[in-house]
Amino acid sequence: MSKKVMLVDDEAGFTELLKMNLEKSGDYEVMIENDSMKALATARKFQPDIVLLDVVMPGMDGGDVQALFQADPILAKVPVIMLTALVDSAELSAGAVAQSGTSVMLPKPVDLPLLLRVLEENLEAAGK
Amino acid sequence: MEKLSIVESVLDNLPVAIFAKDATNDFTFVLWNKKQEEVTTIRSEKAIGKNDYKLFAKESADYFRSVDKAVIKRGKLMKVPDEILETKDGEEVHLRTVKIPVFDPATQRQLVVGISEDITEQVRSHEQLETLNKTLSEANRELQETQMQLIQAEKLESIGRLAAGVAHEVKNPLALLLLGVDYLSQGIDADDENVDKILTQMREAVERADRIVRGLVDFSSQRALTREAIRLPDLIDDVLLLVKHELTRSNTKVEVRPCKDLPPVFLDLSKFEQVLINLIINATHAMADEPNPKLIIEVVTESLDLVVKNQGARKREVFRSGDKVVILRIIDNGTGIMDADTSRLFDPFFTTKATGKGTGLGLSVSRKIVGLHAGELKIKNREDQKGAIAQITLPTKLDATVGVDSIVAKGVDTNPHKLAPSDED
Repeated sequence: MSKKVMLVDDEAGFTELLKMNLEKSGDYEVMIENDSMKALATARKFQPDIVLLDVVMPGMDGGDVQALFQADPILAKVPVIMLTALVDSAELSAGAVAQSGTSVMLPKPVDLPLLLRVLEENLEAAGK
Repeated sequence: MEKLSIVESVLDNLPVAIFAKDATNDFTFVLWNKKQEEVTTIRSEKAIGKNDYKLFAKESADYFRSVDKAVIKRGKLMKVPDEILETKDGEEVHLRTVKIPVFDPATQRQLVVGISEDITEQVRSHEQLETLNKTLSEANRELQETQMQLIQAEKLESIGRLAAGVAHEVKNPLALLLLGVDYLSQGIDADDENVDKILTQMREAVERADRIVRGLVDFSSQRALTREAIRLPDLIDDVLLLVKHELTRSNTKVEVRPCKDLPPVFLDLSKFEQVLINLIINATHAMADEPNPKLIIEVVTESLDLVVKNQGARKREVFRSGDKVVILRIIDNGTGIMDADTSRLFDPFFTTKATGKGTGLGLSVSRKIVGLHAGELKIKNREDQKGAIAQITLPTKLDATVGVDSIVAKGVDTNPHKLAPSDED
């Protein structure tokens, strides 16, 4: 059965191409949310097995979104992988907040084989 | 005889050199006053009865003779171009001479009377003045060059601050490109509908990255003032692209209020980007503690009368009554300006920001740049006291931007300034 991946990133083009890549293998079903403010509502409805979360977004940033997920009884158990174009200290510290939870950070541009491996490992660790 | 001696003593006491030559007798001198002795260092007794060829070098004598003949021929007063006479002592005397044809009916003689003013002192003062003027222009040119260097230094400082954000903005299209390559390299089915979409996305990503990088390169280029006809909305779009990361990170909402029928303004694109980036970054810093930071960028055209009334006397020096001006306002909802800081806002190195966040040169340089375009930059608190307004007033007429032309003309600019016609209108 395919795993449910949720992408939260304001870059619509990026999410669209990532969705195509992930779905091509047939292993994943992907839901895109480009508006971080709606991420929680979308996640509650979609019930993802794993979340890929951008750090720098207008509205709420990745750290804020993750904090909301962690406060939700069901979503708190869902592993989160942060994606970022990690370039300055402000992002690093936002990332550090995320890393204190259960999540992993991956740099943008994303290395697809690495991402697929990280997805698998995290899904396995979460028992999915 | 007594009458004649009175005339002679008057002539000798005049502060101008006077001589007369007899044209009917090979232009021999018949009159040679004291001042003429002084300027030529030739005594009257030596000169009377001789012509120019006996007294001066042939080259000079030829010239004097040709002028004398011309005076006789034309039969009226002639102004002779200023002459330099070298005396026997080797000194130069500058003379301004008029020659007058005089016919003496009693003796039937045709005379050429010359009156020479010694302008040596005047010429010397003029030369001194020119030297001083040259020194002054040189100092002025150096000052302008220093100003340009200061503007550039401040710009490099903002590029440093923008670099991380711009790199982030370039990484996003790169991430998209890599995903496209990953997808396509897995092998493509002939009926895969995604391929077209992916290729379009990849092309757009390349164009976007190119636009951002080109924007930064254009911005960083060091040029002297180069004016072009610019549409402010385009300029605002380009600037927002460069500061996009800063705005996103600070969660700042931006509202651009465009203006219909906006005339083009003649600006140096890169230097004006520098001004807008400065003002926008300042605004985001001022809104750091605001939960809902919002930036409004509006452009309006206004009639000058209204501007004068609102802005006080200083405006009158810059703009003329009846001129149409373009006003660009950047309005934030930040902390505003403390009364105590109002008078020091534009002072170099004055900053209310933490160390490392600003050099204190941004506003001072921005005002300088706006001034070079014959415009004015003002910062004031909003009337509702809920933030600050940075306001740039610009002339729409090209001839109003005199300051820029003069800099180009004085050779500070190595590139000729270009005036590209607007694409619109």
